[in-house]
Amino acid sequence: MKVLLMGHPNVGKSVVFNRLTGANVFISNYPGTTVEYTRGYMKIESEEIEVIDVPGTFSLEPKDKAEEVAVEMLKKEKEAVVISVVDSSKVERGLYLTLEIMEKGYPVILALNMWDIAKDKKIDIDTEELGNLLCIPVVPTIAISGKGIKELVREIKKAKPVKINKIIERVEGTK
Amino acid sequence: MEKKLSEMKYGEKGVVKRIEKEFQGKIAGMGIRVGKEVEILTREPLRGPVVVIVDESRTSLGLGMAKKITVEV
Repeated sequence: MKVLLMGHPNVGKSVVFNRLTGANVFISNYPGTTVEYTRGYMKIESEEIEVIDVPGTFSLEPKDKAEEVAVEMLKKEKEAVVISVVDSSKVERGLYLTLEIMEKGYPVILALNMWDIAKDKKIDIDTEELGNLLCIPVVPTIAISGKGIKELVREIKKAKPVKINKIIERVEGTK
Repeated sequence: MEKKLSEMKYGEKGVVKRIEKEFQGKIAGMGIRVGKEVEILTREPLRGPVVVIVDESRTSLGLGMAKKITVEV
């Protein structure tokens, strides 16, 4: 089983990565490029799980080499669970990428990172409602302090792919 | 009044009206979509990129891109 950490640049993917994995970490170039990515391992219920820190990307339509690698890695790991890391204070932007990944049929967990910063900015997100609408686990996290990481790990095994048109139906129902 | 994003002045605000089709997908990931409010933060000299604020976050767009976005000001 593999877990991919995906999200925009500078949302804290690597901090989440460091929280999830231990010392057994490998840094390598993606074959044929100078784009680096990090691989590590974690254990859930004695099962070894590979965690990959994918380069940051804004969408699945690559605009540069690093984004190309990110998209290619996602394509290659058909069986992976994706943790979509989003900056809680800029949630709408992050959701675009999240939905794109869900549309491709991957099981997704949404990590609303930098929860403390969003709070400082007086942004409150109804995580329960968001989770119901998207039908995926939504976990508020503060990766630098470690808050929410345990909950994130707990959701990894439960993540399931969701049909996008079901989400559209639900969102339209709330209008 | 309609304007191209590339013609907007420093500090000007507007709502995105149209984006050329082929670029819609490319910049949607940056948060720029039809109906979004944008504000010009800076315009770099020598035909440099424009920096816009969309939903609290800053995005810079090359002039070529900015020309393909129509904004109601």
